[in-house]
Amino acid sequence: MTDKIDASRRMFLRHAGTMTALTAVGGPLALNLLAMGTASAQAAGDYKAIVCLFMFGGNDSINMVLPTDAASFANYTTIRNQAPDSIALLAPGTPSGGSGTSPAALGGVLPINPANAQGRSFALHPVMGELQTMFDTDKRLAILPNVGPLIMPTTKTQYGQNSHPKPKSLFSHNDQQNIWQSFLPEGATKGWGGRMGDLLASMNARSVFTSISVSGNAVWLSGENIRQYQVSANGAIRMGANASGQIYGSTAVAAAMERIVQASRGGHVFESDLAAVSARSIQAESLLRAVLAARPPSDARFGTPATNYNPNTDPKLQYLNPATGASAFNSLAQQLQMVARLVDASSAPEIGARRQVFFVSIGGFDTHDAQNANHAQLMARLAHAMRYFDTTLAAIGAQDKVTAFTASDFGRTFTSNGDGTDHGWGAHHFVMGGAVRGGDLYGAFPAYGTKNANDNNFDDSLDQIGNGSLLPTTSVDQLGATLGRWFGLSDSQLLDIFPNLVNWNLSQRNLGFMI
Amino acid sequence: MPTQLFIIRPRRGVVRIFALVFTVMLLAACGGGSPGGDSNDPVAPVPAVVEKPADRAQAARFLTQATFGPTDADIDRLMSIGYSAWIDEQFGKPATSHRANWETQDAAMKSIDATRSAGQDGVYNSFWKAAVTGEDQLRQRVVFALSQIFVISMQDATVGDNPRAVADYMDMLADKGLGNYRQLLEGVSRHPMMGVYLSHLRNRKADPRTGRVPDENYAREVMQLFSIGLHQLESDGTVKQNGGQPLETYGQADIAGLAKVFTGFSWSCPSWPDNACFSNGSADGLSDPDRGFKPMLGYPQYHSTEEKSFLGTTIAAQGYGSPEASLTAALDHLAAHPNVGPFIGKQLIQRLVTSNPSPAYVAAVAATFNDNGSGVRGDMKAVIKRILMHPEARLVSAKSGKVREPVMRLSAFLRAFPFSSDSGWWRVGNTDNPATALGQTPMRAPSVFNFWRPGYVAPGTQASAAGLVAPEMQIAQETSAAGYVNYMRDNIAFGVGASATVPVNGGNITRRDLQPDFAAELALAEQPGALVDRLNDKLMYGAMAADLRTEIVGAVSSIAIPALNATGSNQAQVNTAKRNRVNAAIFLTVISPEYQVQK
Repeated sequence: MTDKIDASRRMFLRHAGTMTALTAVGGPLALNLLAMGTASAQAAGDYKAIVCLFMFGGNDSINMVLPTDAASFANYTTIRNQAPDSIALLAPGTPSGGSGTSPAALGGVLPINPANAQGRSFALHPVMGELQTMFDTDKRLAILPNVGPLIMPTTKTQYGQNSHPKPKSLFSHNDQQNIWQSFLPEGATKGWGGRMGDLLASMNARSVFTSISVSGNAVWLSGENIRQYQVSANGAIRMGANASGQIYGSTAVAAAMERIVQASRGGHVFESDLAAVSARSIQAESLLRAVLAARPPSDARFGTPATNYNPNTDPKLQYLNPATGASAFNSLAQQLQMVARLVDASSAPEIGARRQVFFVSIGGFDTHDAQNANHAQLMARLAHAMRYFDTTLAAIGAQDKVTAFTASDFGRTFTSNGDGTDHGWGAHHFVMGGAVRGGDLYGAFPAYGTKNANDNNFDDSLDQIGNGSLLPTTSVDQLGATLGRWFGLSDSQLLDIFPNLVNWNLSQRNLGFMI
Repeated sequence: MPTQLFIIRPRRGVVRIFALVFTVMLLAACGGGSPGGDSNDPVAPVPAVVEKPADRAQAARFLTQATFGPTDADIDRLMSIGYSAWIDEQFGKPATSHRANWETQDAAMKSIDATRSAGQDGVYNSFWKAAVTGEDQLRQRVVFALSQIFVISMQDATVGDNPRAVADYMDMLADKGLGNYRQLLEGVSRHPMMGVYLSHLRNRKADPRTGRVPDENYAREVMQLFSIGLHQLESDGTVKQNGGQPLETYGQADIAGLAKVFTGFSWSCPSWPDNACFSNGSADGLSDPDRGFKPMLGYPQYHSTEEKSFLGTTIAAQGYGSPEASLTAALDHLAAHPNVGPFIGKQLIQRLVTSNPSPAYVAAVAATFNDNGSGVRGDMKAVIKRILMHPEARLVSAKSGKVREPVMRLSAFLRAFPFSSDSGWWRVGNTDNPATALGQTPMRAPSVFNFWRPGYVAPGTQASAAGLVAPEMQIAQETSAAGYVNYMRDNIAFGVGASATVPVNGGNITRRDLQPDFAAELALAEQPGALVDRLNDKLMYGAMAADLRTEIVGAVSSIAIPALNATGSNQAQVNTAKRNRVNAAIFLTVISPEYQVQK
C-alpha cells in the first residue's frame, strides 16, 4: 500500500525539510518557515473551513445583484429588454403578475440595504428572499461586486493594449473555470484551496480530510501535496464488501479485492494512479463509516427526521421552483448537508481536522437561451441552498467557523441576444458566514452604461467592455487572500499561494469582508 | 524535437517490437515538424507496418482500440486477413441505425400503451445493442469517439426530450464521421439537436437599433471544440508560441464575426420560411414530424446581412440574408484551417489509442487528414486507418495507452462472454451515477466540454509528474472507484440492466435484462488456475501479471466446493459454490487497475 492516509506528519516533516534546505538560499521562503510555525501554533480546538460553491457555466450575476438607482436601472432595462424574450428584471415593488419565470411573473427585484451603498441603491433577483434576509437582517452575507481573474489592475484602456498582461483564454468555459480555481488554464494541477491545505495540513491529524469535494474533481482542492478526497452527497461508498465483509459470500474474495485495487503490479503510471484513488476510497470510507452514521441526514440538525430517510423528499432539501410553483429537490442543498455533517464530525478522532476546504457545485448557468426559464430556477436553488446551509451551521454551532463563497466561470454580457446572454468576465459574488462582515458591498459596484450609436462597446462606462461585459475591479487573488488571512495564513504565505497578489498594494490585499 | 522513449515489457515478439520502436524514433527524428518550422513540412513516409498480428494477444490489443472489446470471432478474422483488410471490411459493413432501433422500441412500447415512449433509455439501449452485438464495431467505436468531440447531451432538458433525434445524431456521426470532415462539420452544425444544445437554432441577427446581439455560443464552440481549438498548432499538434506564450487562433472579434453566420437557422417546417416556423417550428398547425433531425433550414429574414469577418476572411455584406451562402463560406474556411488535422486527429488518437501520442504520431495522422494520398483533405476513413495502423499504436510501455473509459470497461466485459438480452433491446439504461454505476452514460456528457478534457492533467499523480495528460481521470474519484467495483460485482452475479419478469424454463422469474452464459467458465470451476488463465485471455489479452494471477487463483480456491453427495441432494450448493468461484475470478479481474487501463 503506497498511499497512506496518516501522512500529514510525514508530509509536514518533508515540507519543513524542503524549506530548511531552501532557507539557506535565502529569500521569502525563510518567512514561509516562520509563518508555518505560526499557523501550527494556533490554539487547539480552533476550527475553520472554507467552502467554494461553484456555479458551472458562467452565472449571469447582472441579474443576481442589481443596481436600482435610476440611471443604472434605466440603462439595464433598455439593454436587456429585447425581442423575443425580455430578460430585464423589473423594478423593486413591481407586483408579481402570474405564474412562470418571465420578469413580469417574477415581480420586482428585492431591495437590499448595504451599510455603504456608494450613493446608489441595490436589489437581488426576485426569488432570492432568503438572501435578502441574510444580507439585511442577519448580516451574514456580503456582496463582492465585479470579481474576476486579473493579472494586475486593468483599466479599460489597458484592456485594449496587447502589452498589458491579461488572464489567458478569457471567455472560454473550461479555461476560466480552471483560472478561477488555480490561476492557470486547462491542464492546471494546483488550486488555491489545495495550496491553503498544503500550508495548514499540519494542523490536521490526517491529511486526507483536509480537502474534500462533494461534487466532482475540482482543481481548486489540489495542492502541492494535498489531494482532494471526493465523497458523495449521500456518504462515503463502501467498496465491494457487504456489511459482513464478504463478496459472493467470501471474506477471502473481499480481502483479495482490497489488495488488488490498491496496488499496481504492472508499473504502468495510469494503473498506479487508479490504485491510489482506490486506496483513498477504501481507507477514507473505513474512517468515515461510523462518524457519518452517527450524524445521519435524518438528524434534525441536518434534515427532517424520518424512519426511512429519503433526501429527495426531505422538506429541508426542497426549494420552491419558480417555474412550477411547487417544491422540488435541491441537490446543491444535499451537497451542503454532507459538508455540514463533515464539519460536525471534524473533531472526531477519525477525522481530526482543524482546517478544511470543501467544494460543492451547481451546473446549468450557461444561459445563452431560455434564460428566463432557467436562471430563475438556478437563483432559487442557490438562495435556498445557502440559507439551508446557514441554518444548518447554526444548528451545529459552526456558523462562525465556516465561510462559503460563490465562484463561476465568468460573468455574462450585459447585452441580450434575444432570450439569453453570452460569455463575459467580471461578476458579482457572495461570501457567507458568521465570520463575514455581512450586509455590505466590498469593492466599487460597476457603472452600467448605454449603447453607443454604432456598437455595443459601452464607451460611457469604464467598467464595461464589448457587449457590456464587466471588466473586473476586484481580482480572484484579492478574494482568496482575504479568505486565506482569516484562515490563518501569513502575508508571505498568501503571496506564495496567490501569484498575482503582489500586483496590488498592501492595503488592497485584504478586502475587509472577514472579521 | 523530443523523441519518445518506449519501455518495452519482455514478452513474445520482442525483437519485432524493438524494430518498431526504431521506426517510430526515425519518424520522430525526421517527420515531426520542429517547433517554429513550417507547419506544412512533409512527413516522411511511414515504412510498411506489420500487416498481421503476431499472436492472439496482439490481435486483442488492436481490437480494444478498434472495437468495444475483442471477441474470439473478431480475433480469428483479424488474424486471418490482417489489419488493413480488417479495417476496410469494417468500413464496408452495413451501418447500425440507432434511429431505427429507437423507433422499433418505441413502436413496441406504444403497441402496449400508446402514451409510452422509448425515451432516453431507447438511445442508451441502442448504443449498447450496437456495442455488444453490432457488426459495424469500428464505425460505432468511431461514432462514440466523435460523440465526445462533437458533443450534444441529453442532460440538456430539451435535447433529452428528443431522444429519437439524438439517435439520429449518432447515425449522422456514423455517416458523415466516416465521410469527409467538411461534411461532418456541416452535419453537426445543421443538426437541430446541436442547434438546440448550443442555441444557434432560432438565433436572430443583431438589432443595431436596440443593441440586441447574435447569440455567440455556437460560433465560439465550433472553433474551440469542433475544428481549430484555442491555440495555433504545428502540424504535429504542439502549440505555436511567441515569447513563451501560446499563439491564439481567434479573439473576441472573430467570435462576433462568426456569430453573425449562425443566425437565421431554425426547424425544418412545411411553411418555411414563415416567421412562425422560425420561432415555433410550426405554422398554421402544421409542423414537420421529423424536424428534430432534419437539417436546420436557413430563414433569410433572420440572417445577418452585415459583413462577417473572422479568422482572416470576410463574407461580404448581403442585400438580402443568404444563410446558405454564409454557412458554406464559413465552414469551408474553418475546415481548411491548418489546425484541423492535428487538432481533431490528436483527439481521435486519444479516444481510440493513447492519451499521450508522440508529436510524430500526431503529425502522421494530420498529414493523412491534409491529404489522403489522393489529394483529398479531410478523408475520415483514411484518418481512422492511419491512427489504427500507426506503429505507435502497436507499442506497449508504462506510459502508453489510456485509462479505459467506464463505458468501455463494461462493453469489453459484455463482449468477452456470451451475453443475451431477454428483451432483445439491451436495456442497460442510464449509467450516470458514479456511486452505483459507471459515472458515464453515452450521449450524456455534463457539458459540451465532454466527460473530460483532452488536456486534463490529474493533480498529484504519477502521470502528472511524468508530464502526461489523462483525460479519463477527470471522472475518476473515490466514489466512482467504489461505485464501479460494486456495479461490476452485481453485474457478474445478477446480469446487467433493468429487471423484468420473463418466462424461463416454464416458470416466471424476475431478472436483469442482460444475462451471461458462463458455461465455459463453470466447466473450469474446479481448476482455478485454468479458470484464471481463460479470463486472462478473455479480458486481459494474456497480459495478466503473475502476482495478480496468484492473488486471484488464491481467492478463487478459497471458495470451497462441497463434494456432491450420493443422492445429489446438495447439487444446488455445489452449483452455487462453482458460480461463486467464476464470479470471483471474473470480478477480481475486471476490478484490477490492469483491466481499467487500455494499454
